[in-house]
Order: sequence, then C-alpha cells, then structure tokens
Amino acid sequence: MRQKILKNVTLTVSLAVVLAFILIELVSYRQFYANMQGEVRNEAAYVQIGLNEVGEGFLDQSVADITNSRITLIDADGKVLWDSVEDASEMENHRNRPEVVQAMEHGSGESSRVSATLGESTYYYALRMEDGHILRIANTVSSVFGTMLSGFTMIIIILILVIVLSVFVTHAMTKRLVDPINKLNLEHPEDNEIYEELAPLLRRIEKQNEVISEQVVSLKSAHQEYLAITDNMKDGLIVTNRTSVLSLNKAALKLFRIQLKEVVNKNILTVSRLPELKEAWDQAVAGKPFERNLQMEQRVYQILANPVVFDGEIQGAVMFILDVTQKERADQMRREFSANVSHELKTPLMSISGYAELIQNNMVRKEDIAEFAGRIHSEANRLTTLVQDIIKLSQLDEMPQSTQMEDVDLYTLSQEIVSGLLMAARNKGIKIGLSGESAVVPGVRQVLYEMLYNLCDNAVQYNQEGGSVSIELKQEGQEILWSVTDTGIGIPAEEQERIFERFYRVDKSHSRASGGTGLGLSIVKHGAMLHHVKIDMDSEVGKGTTILLHF
Amino acid sequence: MRNRFDQQLEQLNVDMIEMGALCEQVIDKTYNVMMEEDKVAAREIMEKDVEIDHKEQEIESLCLKLLLQQQPVARDLRVISAALKMITDMERIGDQAADIAEIVRTTNLKAPTNDIPLGEMAVATIKMVKESIDAYVKKDLELARKVIEYDDVVDDLFVKTRARLIDAVHNEKEDDASAMDLLMIAKYYERIGDHATNVAEWVEFSITGEHRGEDK
Repeated sequence: MRQKILKNVTLTVSLAVVLAFILIELVSYRQFYANMQGEVRNEAAYVQIGLNEVGEGFLDQSVADITNSRITLIDADGKVLWDSVEDASEMENHRNRPEVVQAMEHGSGESSRVSATLGESTYYYALRMEDGHILRIANTVSSVFGTMLSGFTMIIIILILVIVLSVFVTHAMTKRLVDPINKLNLEHPEDNEIYEELAPLLRRIEKQNEVISEQVVSLKSAHQEYLAITDNMKDGLIVTNRTSVLSLNKAALKLFRIQLKEVVNKNILTVSRLPELKEAWDQAVAGKPFERNLQMEQRVYQILANPVVFDGEIQGAVMFILDVTQKERADQMRREFSANVSHELKTPLMSISGYAELIQNNMVRKEDIAEFAGRIHSEANRLTTLVQDIIKLSQLDEMPQSTQMEDVDLYTLSQEIVSGLLMAARNKGIKIGLSGESAVVPGVRQVLYEMLYNLCDNAVQYNQEGGSVSIELKQEGQEILWSVTDTGIGIPAEEQERIFERFYRVDKSHSRASGGTGLGLSIVKHGAMLHHVKIDMDSEVGKGTTILLHF
Repeated sequence: MRNRFDQQLEQLNVDMIEMGALCEQVIDKTYNVMMEEDKVAAREIMEKDVEIDHKEQEIESLCLKLLLQQQPVARDLRVISAALKMITDMERIGDQAADIAEIVRTTNLKAPTNDIPLGEMAVATIKMVKESIDAYVKKDLELARKVIEYDDVVDDLFVKTRARLIDAVHNEKEDDASAMDLLMIAKYYERIGDHATNVAEWVEFSITGEHRGEDK
C-alpha cells in the first residue's frame, strides 16, 4: 500500500511539475514575444526618425552596435542598401519578403520565421519611409521549444528535488495513515476508533469473526464426536485419501503397533506391509468395495474396504479391520460339530441297517437272530444316548443365565452317583471312595448331576483294572472344592486344552472300546459355565487324572 | 518441477516398501517350507522371487532417471543412492530365500530335528529382515542400529548349527547328504542376515550421511 501511494504521489507530482512548467512557459513566452514585437516597432519608429533627421548617414556601425536588432534598409526595388549584420552588397533582393511586400502596400508589414533547426524565431517589422525606402528591423529570439529546451536542466533539477521531497513527505504521511490500520484489533474490530471510512469493513469483519468462531466450535465438537466414536471402537478404522493415510483410530494403531505420526500423510504401506491390506486399499481406491480375511499374530481379522465417493469422484477409502477370531473359531467349531454329529449318528445306523439287512435276506441262522437283535438293540441304545447327550448340550446352550437355581447338596449328589457307578466299577475291579461332608451350592440339580456323573464316569471308564477313584468334597474359605482323582490312563498335556470340545477324543481311532459319545466333558464345560464353576485339571499320562471344580 | 520430483521420490519410497514387503513375505515362507516341508509355499517363494527381481529393475531405472533428470543433491541424493544399494541387498535376500526353497523342493529334505537350531536361526533372520524394512519405513535410526547389532546373534546361531550338524553326522543321527543341505540352508540364512544388516546400514546412511561399511 505504501509503495502504491508513493508511486502515485511521485507520478502526480512529477506530472504537475512538468505540466506547470509547460503552461507557464507557453503563457510567458507569448507575453515576452508580444513585448519584443512592441520594442521592435518602437525601435523602427526611432530609427525612422533618426533617418529622417540625419539622413542615410545615420545608419552606421555605431547604430548596429547599440542594438540587438538587425536593421536593414531596402530600396523600393528590393535591393538591400544597408544591413547592420551582413555586407549589404552580397545580400539578395528582398523585394519578395512578405513583410516588405506588406510595407510597400500598407506602409508597414510584419512576419515571423521560425528556424526549427536553430530553435529560433525571427520577427521582422518593415516600415515604408517617405522616400520609398523600406526600413526593416528584425529581432531573433529563441522559439518556444528553444526556450523550453534551455529551461530543461532546470526542470530536471526541480523534478528531482520535488520527487525526493515527495518521497519523504509521502513516506511520513503514509506511515501516519497506515499505522493505525496495522494496529487494528481484528479480534474485536468494533472496538477500534480510527477512520470512519473503515467502519463498514470492521463491522463485516466482526460479523465474520462471529460466524467463524461458531463454525470452529461446531467443527471442534464434530471432530471430538468423531474421535470419541472412532477411538472407543474396538475395531480398527483407517481413513485415507487417494494417495495417503489421513487418520487411524486407536484400535488400528494398537493393532498394527504404530504411532499416528509415523503414518499420517504417508503411503498405506507404512501402516502395514501385509499384502492383503495393500490389495484391499488398492481395490477400494479403484472404486471397488473389498472384503477379505487377514491372518495376523494367531488372530483372524476381516478387512472391509470401501471407496469414499464425493461429487461422483473417488476421494479416498475407509477401511474397517474387525477382529473375527471368535467368529471364525465358532464357525469352525460348528462345522466340525456338524461333521462329527453326522459321523457319530451314521456309524450306529450303518450297523443297525447292516444287521437288519442280513436278517431280511435270511442270511442269519434262526438261532443267531437273537444275538443280532441284541446288537441292533445296543447300537440303538448308543444312538439314543448320543441323541440325548446332544439334546442336553443344546438345552444347556439355550438355557438362559438366569435359570431358576435351587439349593443342591453336592455330598448327597455324589453319593447317588457313586451308587449308580458301583456296578461298572466292580466289573473292572475299581474301588470308589467318597470323603467329605455335606456342602450346599445353588444350582440346577439335573445339570449338576450330569456334570459330576460324567466326570466320575470318565474316572471309571478310563481307569486301569484294579485302580481306584476317590471323590473328595471340602470347604476352603468361601469356596467349595469338589474333586475326583483316578489312577487311570491320564491325558497328554497337549490334549488337555481340547478335551472339552464336542466330540473330541484323545483316542483318535473313534474306537468304541471305552464307549461314550465324546460329548460328556462338553456337557461338563457348559454346566460349569452355567454355574460359574472353575475347572482345574492335573493329569499325567499313565499315572492318573485329578479334576477339581471350584464352586 | 519440484513437485514432480517430490512425487517421484514418494514413488521410490513406496516401491522400496513394496519390495521390502515382498522380501519379508518370502523369508517368512522359508520357515514353513523348511520346518513343515511345505512344497506349495516353496513354489510361491520362487514365484515371488521373480517379482522381486522385476521390482529391483523397476526401482533401479527410477533411481537412474531421478539421478540423471533431477540431479539431486544432499539428502535427496543420499536417499536415492542408498535405495540403489539397498535393492541389491533386498534382491539377494529374495534369491537366497528362493535357494532355500529350491533345496527343500528338489531334495525332499526332512525338517531338522529339535537339537539343530535352524528354526531358531530362521526366526532370528526373519526378525532381522522385518526390522530392517521397518527401520527403512519409519526412518528409525535406533531400530537400524539394533538390526546391525543383532547380526551377531545370527552369526552365533550359524556356528552353533554347524557344530550340531557335525555332531549329528558323527553320531549318525543325520545322513551326510541332508546334513550338507541343512548346512547350506543355515549358510543362506546367515547371508540373508548379512544382507539385512547391509539394508540397515544403508538406512543409517540415508539418515545420517555416514556409512560404516566394513569397519564395524
């Protein structure tokens, strides 16, 4: 602004100086020229008088010396008789000069001739004398341009002076003008008391300030809302534009073990170099929604990548990373369960239908039919047990957490179980012992019975001939501990995690040497979950197993 | 013009990370190939190795183009020249991973027994490669130096593996041919460790402008 003011002022001042100079020159030159003309006429009159009084002898060198003007005497034919500057005899005939012609006709005449090259203007004045001679006085002055030219250096000096002065003055002036503007308080524009010309502007600024601060507040709250939502999500969220990462939520940062500042405004590869992520992002940025699973550190994640379209153009991508490990595992278990159920159901059915077919085709001797029927019966029993177990399991699955609980005495329950197993134990020569005293827990009687029965049944089933099973019940602080210890075959350490899975068997051969459906421990697990019971297991292959329940 | 240069530099960076990621993937797979005799993974490694070679050529020509057309100076020059050196090492990592896969594939090599620490060596090397690439991505000087130091661990493991293999051959627990192959694999891992160290050194160079080279 200062620069502009300075430039304008300098230009204006210079223009004014130049214009003033030209105008003044023109006006004063006119005055000067008119004066000069008058003087020349006067001089002509004096010289005429002189000539009349003295005669031609009046005109000699002395006259020429005292005047600046050029005096010429011309006879009626135009021949130059005398000249104050040049030798008259060498001068041409002046008969046709305009001033001479005029003087011949009217008694006096004038003309002026400008010599452009010399920058001079000559004024001629001719007078016809009584004897018919013509007296001509000429005066040469600089022409207008000549005069101006002679004043040129002066004008340059003046110009420089004026410009220097104007620079200083305008500098100080603009400073005085601009300083208050620079010191304007734009936070509170209306508090300023300077030029009233600025008031409308300041009012506008004030209003816009208000609008801006309102918008900033709403933007901030929107951003905080966004952060609150994204940072509290347990799923990872990555937002990118078409070339680089814009933001990640806390879950994503944790998942990829990175810092926000390491990746913002950088390529997606800085987040993770997993090819799946890059592929998902590439697809999303190309406009195709993308979905795929990603294995990372023993967990399964699902990447959902979607393009962000704005105004019909792809502006970037939003990627969700969901932890689907649980879901994947549940899916896998369901798949395995269906496969196992089909298999377990099919095996007895195949035997039943096989035996039945043999009987139907009379392939069995009459006396053997009873035995075959017995086999069919036992296979059907297995089927029934299996279906019952499955039903129990699904009941446990469906059972709401808030099932009506009653008080159950674990000791009497254990007694019942021991008497139920006595037969089987005696067959294998196994001793069953029960120690402890009555302990009452809240629970679903039927479920608790199933749980404890299955555990004890296993202790008998997987025991060695002549082994022992001891059931112990004791109170320890707030906890009631129920345990069953056997001297059986034991469970290998790497299998201990899995034995509670449905249909899982340590003995992979699916041989029915020891019977069972493979669902017993699964029922135990679900029952324990329902009663909030913790299961501990201590087992050594060949030595035996202890299962401890914390009620 | 500057803008275009910056874009090309970013492209170089992205290409480098992609190549690094490929190296990580192949070296990761060598573990499965060796410990689980995974033939499918072995073939994948060899396919990926071709991809790595292509990537190397791509980056090389980009680097040369940048050097010739933009005539970079100071930091940019360091980044580009370091990239040129790094891709050679990364390409070697890919090659050696492919060599490991080749050995397992052609000789029907059985996984080493528990007392030969080849699995441990593979894990250590994978860690080195991963961290050297990480150091490049994050421009992390600390991490780069850690990788350089970690090379000693891999070297020690190589010496140990060699001694154990000799024992195994003496006690006739391992037949001569597969002991040789396992030793080759161990040597490849050891070399991969060295290349990862080189990558880390070039990362260090591109940040500090000083390269320690051979005088560690």
